Amino acid sequence: MNDRIKRMVDRLKVDKYPLCIEKFRIATRTLAETKGEPYIIRRAKMLSNVLNEIDIFIEEDELFVGAGASKPLGLEIDYEYGTWTQDEIDSLKQEQYSITHEEEAQLHELNAKFDDRNLVMAIGEVLYENEHLRLFMKSGLILPPWKGKKVGSGGGYAQSGLGLGPGFFLIGVDYEKMLNEGSLKIISQADEELEKIKYSNGESLEKQEFLRSVIIVHQAVINFASRYAQLAETMASIEKDEIRKKELKRIAKACRWVPANPARDFFEALQSFWFTFLLVCPSPTSAAGRFDQYMYPFYRKDKDTRKITDEEVLELLECLRIKDIKLNRVSGKANRKKNAGMAKWHNWTIGGVKCDGKDATNELTYLLLEAAKETKIPHHTLTLRVHDNTPIELMQKALEVVRTGLGMPAFVNDKSYIEFFLKNGMSLEDSREYIMTGCLDGNIPAISRTVSIGMFVVSLAFDIFMHNGINPNNGELVGLKTGYVEDMKTYHDFKSAFYKQLEYLLNLAGEKNNVELLAQRQLFPDPFRSSLMKDAIKEGKDILNRKMPFENGSVLCMIGVINVADSLAAVKKLVFDDKKVSMKELKAALDADWIGYKDLRKMCLDAPKYGNDDDYVDLIAADLYRFIEKTLAKIDTAYGGKIITTAISITSHQPGGALTGATPDGRRKGEILADGSMSPMHGMDKKGPTAIIKSACKINQDSYQATLLNMKFHPSSLRTDEDLKKLSFLIKAYFKNGGKHVQFNVIDKKTLQEAQAAPEKYRDIVVRVAGYSAYFTVLDKEVQDEVIKRTELSLV
Amino acid sequence: MNKRIYYLKNIKGFVFDIQHYSIHDGPGIRTTVFLSGCPLKCLWCQNPESQELYPQLFFRYDKCIGCGECISICTQDAIKLNGNVVQTDRNLCKRCFKCIKVCPNEARTVIGKEITSGEVLEEVFSDKMFYHESNGGVTLSGGEVLLQPEFSSAILELCKSNSIHTAIETSGYGLWESMKKVLTFTDLVLFDFKHFNDDKHKKLTGVSNKVLLENAKKIWHDLKIPIIARVPVIPSCNDSILNINQTANFISTELDRSIKVHLLPYNSLGKAKYKNLEQPWNCFSGTVPSDEKMNELRNILESYGLSVKIGG
Repeated sequence: MNDRIKRMVDRLKVDKYPLCIEKFRIATRTLAETKGEPYIIRRAKMLSNVLNEIDIFIEEDELFVGAGASKPLGLEIDYEYGTWTQDEIDSLKQEQYSITHEEEAQLHELNAKFDDRNLVMAIGEVLYENEHLRLFMKSGLILPPWKGKKVGSGGGYAQSGLGLGPGFFLIGVDYEKMLNEGSLKIISQADEELEKIKYSNGESLEKQEFLRSVIIVHQAVINFASRYAQLAETMASIEKDEIRKKELKRIAKACRWVPANPARDFFEALQSFWFTFLLVCPSPTSAAGRFDQYMYPFYRKDKDTRKITDEEVLELLECLRIKDIKLNRVSGKANRKKNAGMAKWHNWTIGGVKCDGKDATNELTYLLLEAAKETKIPHHTLTLRVHDNTPIELMQKALEVVRTGLGMPAFVNDKSYIEFFLKNGMSLEDSREYIMTGCLDGNIPAISRTVSIGMFVVSLAFDIFMHNGINPNNGELVGLKTGYVEDMKTYHDFKSAFYKQLEYLLNLAGEKNNVELLAQRQLFPDPFRSSLMKDAIKEGKDILNRKMPFENGSVLCMIGVINVADSLAAVKKLVFDDKKVSMKELKAALDADWIGYKDLRKMCLDAPKYGNDDDYVDLIAADLYRFIEKTLAKIDTAYGGKIITTAISITSHQPGGALTGATPDGRRKGEILADGSMSPMHGMDKKGPTAIIKSACKINQDSYQATLLNMKFHPSSLRTDEDLKKLSFLIKAYFKNGGKHVQFNVIDKKTLQEAQAAPEKYRDIVVRVAGYSAYFTVLDKEVQDEVIKRTELSLV
Repeated sequence: MNKRIYYLKNIKGFVFDIQHYSIHDGPGIRTTVFLSGCPLKCLWCQNPESQELYPQLFFRYDKCIGCGECISICTQDAIKLNGNVVQTDRNLCKRCFKCIKVCPNEARTVIGKEITSGEVLEEVFSDKMFYHESNGGVTLSGGEVLLQPEFSSAILELCKSNSIHTAIETSGYGLWESMKKVLTFTDLVLFDFKHFNDDKHKKLTGVSNKVLLENAKKIWHDLKIPIIARVPVIPSCNDSILNINQTANFISTELDRSIKVHLLPYNSLGKAKYKNLEQPWNCFSGTVPSDEKMNELRNILESYGLSVKIGG
């Protein structure tokens, strides 16, 4: 890290983040001014007014420019979900956010003025009129539980819970188009297309409105850049320091040219990318796509002409991380808690194969990793695509970043993702261009986008099944009456009845997704993003109003499958195979949350558990995952496709667990569920990382849009280059045998201290030193203390 | 995924641990099988549970709640209450392990078990895909593998016949006949060098170093099996400049300069296990060698033209 970057990183450390209500103010005003105009035009004008009016600034040391908020480090308040109640504002103030009295008063005024429909209202109107769906939404089978027709499930963003919403589409736009053609070209294409329109069919007016809105937003983007150019020129004219003056002039020159025109060098490409990203952004789930690929021609050209050095590129990439961490949108308090504060998923996908199947690794791939390693800034996210010919050196480099404790990059398997897209009818060339959107969901830039994801709690569905369709949390009949489990004679009967229940509840979840899709289509047309999708101008349609070449608009994400698989195995083993306990007794124990059933709970905990390479339970897990995917693949979506399945818990294993009663895997009522989707239940894997991987390989992951395996390693396993190389082999072995994703957490001192206090949750931590290896939690306290002491020194 | 496993011989032996994803016991990703029983008694022994051949009681004193359930079931009167926790007289204990079943808090467990070579193979074979990817394999460690030569050699033979790379980690202390038997199916030997002064060696480990140094030479020169030299660095025991020079000299002249040396810094993590085995602590007060010390020793070894790695 050079001095500039060090200074910039230091400036990130503040106690409070200011709130920015500027966008809310401009948007509300625009909506009032434009009443009666077509909705997509109103949305275009909203964005346009924001770009023309919002305060802009250039910060000290900045090399390229563009901020989302009206003040440095400002958190942009979002208005699209609903209004901001006093309760929500108070909770912001209690956390690390500051708001002036004046702005607080203004926020209340804006709330009062904002009379447009929001997402909660639109969805609530439908769901609360339907008895099945009302009970379903109340239950929390899709997280989080809805509290009422108008309040959704809590304030702010959280109203829609962890599902997607206005900003939360999972989408990769065509950055190449912006870098290589620019906004002016898009405007002229839209103009031409407008002239060609013949009002001869039902869609022609819609097309005309769409094209007009595209022109409005791209003109606004050009103007936004010009405002920065102007500011940089003014600042340069009074700047005393010659070096800084030069930098400001460079900014001005770039902003006068991009994103209106095609970028001419790496620096302009980066500035153009950043403006584009800002506008695709406020979304916390915006993806940058294959940054190391589309930026490479600019890098190569500048390197060949000696216009730029790797040190300069690294500095710019480090500035990019600093830029990204400053982008923030305020979400409601429930969501802030669930997503650990300022969480966002700005994913940069690196490595992998090119569209011709050859290795795509280049210098930028390494430099992006180096930027993360040096700055240790947690955003943006990096995901490394791995294929058979990924250089081991690249994986080692990536693991050096992991070793810093950043928890990234995640590693994903080209083979499994490409197989997923091929299976869904995409061409091989397109499939090979897949990127990570959100956490790990695969999408193809400009070709597909995910609009709605419901987080479906499979363990709660199991609990409801155990109670013959009744939601045990409130006594309401939310499911089918699939029978009393005590009456089921064989494991086959038991399993079939559960699958029937699950199928019914998944269908309700599919309906809920469709309601959300349709409501969003009405409320959130987005001409800017839409214009950067394939054939956008020719199609003349908003992205929410188009059937995409790969239609994965509606996705359901499975939570708690592993706990249910472990539970099915325990029931099969103890009740049906070994007949050690009756279903009646087991059910009584579950309803009593194991109180008074210590021995039975121990038997359940000792039953086969996923993550130990034991076919008995692993094949049950594989069958369940397969059943869910096959079931959803039969359910229609509002866009004309079928539901796509994904399985990454993000943080939903906590709220999902909170809603689920005691389960036959020995888990207590309310206890957290297994994380990810391929990870074993915490503390249940007893044979180390290879056995976990072997269990995970038995599940057909190719059919899932994403899966997630979290592995924990103590620093003693990651000490030397040789250690990292061996871990690279572990990853490769997993991927050659059907794995889709793996990421690593390096265990820190704090985790070990928690493990000391609650060993049952951390039984999987292994300390490895030559000639010595032990599970941390079985060590005696004095040895644990010794290990903790040495973990701090990061060398055991 | 799993190919069929072939095995004919099935010999019983004692093992106290099988560790998957071993990354410090030879090349690639390995599974390390820790065999029970050791003829040496190194002062700094990290794995005191490895010294006994037969399964033994492993007592988690910090988990004992002093309820006395174990006392009433013990037929030998070996268990007594000592303060808040119980204490077992290991000389009286007949290893019936009835006490383990009645302990309500899992404070009492058995360490070590009897197992067949075929069962070991199955456990080892399950990680074949990882060996294949990383050029790894199996490492037999201990204890001392030479103490159970028939068993060790049976496991290694089974692994070899299933195309798994084999390594042993040994002190080298054992009959040449036993060594030969084990080495027939061994691809790589991780050979421990503890001290070159025979008197010191006896004092530190309880046995002479003559046999093992001879064995090392025979392995290299007669059987021509690759060796990695492993030198534990135990401050104030074997970390003198003289000893390291002698070690370097032996490896580079009596064996070969191409042999890689792993310097393994002592750590005190094994210390608490003595309490778990209710063995008197031998008062060994080892300290962890500093990075400077390790680098100094590495430089000495390298000056003999050897390539050295710190850590396994």
